Amino acid sequence: MPNKLKTIMASMVLITAAGTNAHAADHNLDIVFINDGHVAPYHVAWLGGFEDAIEAYNEAFPDMEITGRWLSAEGSLEKMIQQAEVTINEKPDVMFVNAINVDAFEPLVKKAQDAGITWIAVHSPMDSADYSFTLGDVVNGRNIGMAMCALSGGETYNVGIMLGQAGNPSGDARHAGILEGIATCNNVKVLAEQPADWDTVKAQSIAENWLTQFPDLDAIAGVTDGYMYPSIAIVQNSGKDHIEFFGYDGDIPIMQQMIDGNVKADILLSGTREGWNFVQMAYRIHKGETPEKVYDFFTPLVLTEENHKIALANGFPKDVEVYYVPKAMEVAEKGYLEFGPDSVK
Amino acid sequence: MTASTNAITTSKPQKHMSGLTLRYLVLSGLILIAAVGFSIANDNFYSLVNIGILLRSISVLFLLSMGMTFIMLTGGIDLSVGSNVAFSGGVGVITLGATGSPLMGFIAAGLAGMSIGLLNGVFIGKLKLSAFMVTLATFALARGLALVIYDADSINVTDPVFLWLGGTSWGNLPVVIPFVAIVFVVLSLVLYRTSFGRDVYAVGANFNTAFVLGRNPARSVVWVYVLTGLLAGLSAIITVGRVSSGQPWAGLYLEFDAITAVILGGTSLFGGRGRLLGTILGVLLYGIIINGLVLTGTNPYLQSLIKGMILLGVVLLDTYSQKRKST
Repeated sequence: MPNKLKTIMASMVLITAAGTNAHAADHNLDIVFINDGHVAPYHVAWLGGFEDAIEAYNEAFPDMEITGRWLSAEGSLEKMIQQAEVTINEKPDVMFVNAINVDAFEPLVKKAQDAGITWIAVHSPMDSADYSFTLGDVVNGRNIGMAMCALSGGETYNVGIMLGQAGNPSGDARHAGILEGIATCNNVKVLAEQPADWDTVKAQSIAENWLTQFPDLDAIAGVTDGYMYPSIAIVQNSGKDHIEFFGYDGDIPIMQQMIDGNVKADILLSGTREGWNFVQMAYRIHKGETPEKVYDFFTPLVLTEENHKIALANGFPKDVEVYYVPKAMEVAEKGYLEFGPDSVK
Repeated sequence: MTASTNAITTSKPQKHMSGLTLRYLVLSGLILIAAVGFSIANDNFYSLVNIGILLRSISVLFLLSMGMTFIMLTGGIDLSVGSNVAFSGGVGVITLGATGSPLMGFIAAGLAGMSIGLLNGVFIGKLKLSAFMVTLATFALARGLALVIYDADSINVTDPVFLWLGGTSWGNLPVVIPFVAIVFVVLSLVLYRTSFGRDVYAVGANFNTAFVLGRNPARSVVWVYVLTGLLAGLSAIITVGRVSSGQPWAGLYLEFDAITAVILGGTSLFGGRGRLLGTILGVLLYGIIINGLVLTGTNPYLQSLIKGMILLGVVLLDTYSQKRKST
């Protein structure tokens, strides 16, 4: 037994040591990003951008050390609260928190601020937070809805919309925006709406059901590109090649489908860009800058050049900022173009 | 329900003390190792503030796991407890808003939790349906009810009495910890000092034999689920206090954490064997690991891996000790 215990002890210590991003005692800027979950390709890109940006900033500014870590609550409110509480006790400089529900975190914002931490609410704005990093979800959704109108050809156009998790402010805002945009024309009809809880597996089931239930379905729209992957695959397998897609996130493989496939419009968030923007924002705050309290991440609509022309001809507003696919893909992939160390020098 | 063919013995806890004692020693050792390891990795681990955070964060898990222990002692399982936390919290908060009375809110939350428990208990105990299937259904049902009554949005709560239990600390000691300790003592008395407690073990050892011996196993099963529902209601009140709001997504996946903690604590999945002390140790170990992994900035992907490895290790240990005992 003693030998076994020794083995267990040694394993525990080794595992702990292996997985630990030890904090440098003399770090200059410590950033923590607490996310509600890591279930989609967007999240992977997001973290990739975050980590790459930290590395790039450390190389560009050797006089200071930037440390960063991320946590995932895996959809659990209780887990996220605990992670936030533990993190506050660690006193990092900046916390980015993509809260499952912002109301639940109000008591913690003050605690964080009392501890000298800058709290940045991600996606869902909070009045009490130092800053809110928002995406302009209603406007983006409206742009998608209007693009649907302008590219639908004037005939009756039946669409199914996959929603986020019920009650999630960001998902609700995107949904509201899409409906606003659709309301600008008479021919686009919403046949079905269903929450897929940001879950690609649920999205797959929904797409399968819709194809059976609605033979006259013309398009599937979703509040995240995560829903597009299974939907596109299901539609391709079913042979219903006429069905079109309207995404949201700016995932590179989905934007690629604008050239090769039936994706008609997307919103250029890009997880990579967002990750880079986090580090840039934290750096700027650390250097004494004060960004706007509600910081709007620049998120243009993405179309092909050809579809943009068609849309404009069909009354799509000229003042909506549109990126064509090649540029959108380059920007999505290379977060440093906009938010790298050069942007703050 | 239980399909065990073991002979009924109401003295199960005593009979298996040696195996369980070994389990508790191993668990205590693991807790010690984890605590020492994490404190080496991060000085903050032993800070009073962090210990307060740790205890508060596992208070709800303590309550739910104690209820889950009762259920698993009967050979059952309850997948609905997490959803029940959201549902009963919603009923409590809405009642508080409608009446302005925190007492009415508390009562409503408790009754709501018990009603889901009663539903489970009747279907499982009286109608002899599969605990897994019934509670899988009420897992969805309670979450759906929560989403409907909340209209999928949170409800802010400002009543200081309603928030007191979950949100107040005496220094670094969250008020909820002594409360959980009291619940532990009361439930221990119920389990070890009452005929109901003996029935819980008897039902888990062999449902049919318990019936033949003149006990009322169906009624015991119903009450066990009602009790767990009540604990879900209490958990809801604590959760609302902790986040100053009612949350439709509260308690998500907590049932799995509770089951994990109970299994870690040595309660048999097949019923009839286990003790609340083991569950407490299981919850503590689980909480320390989660807290420590967050505190040390461990990669979240690795966190799941470590949790899974520990659970697998304990299950293997359990199986090994059972086999040794049987040979």
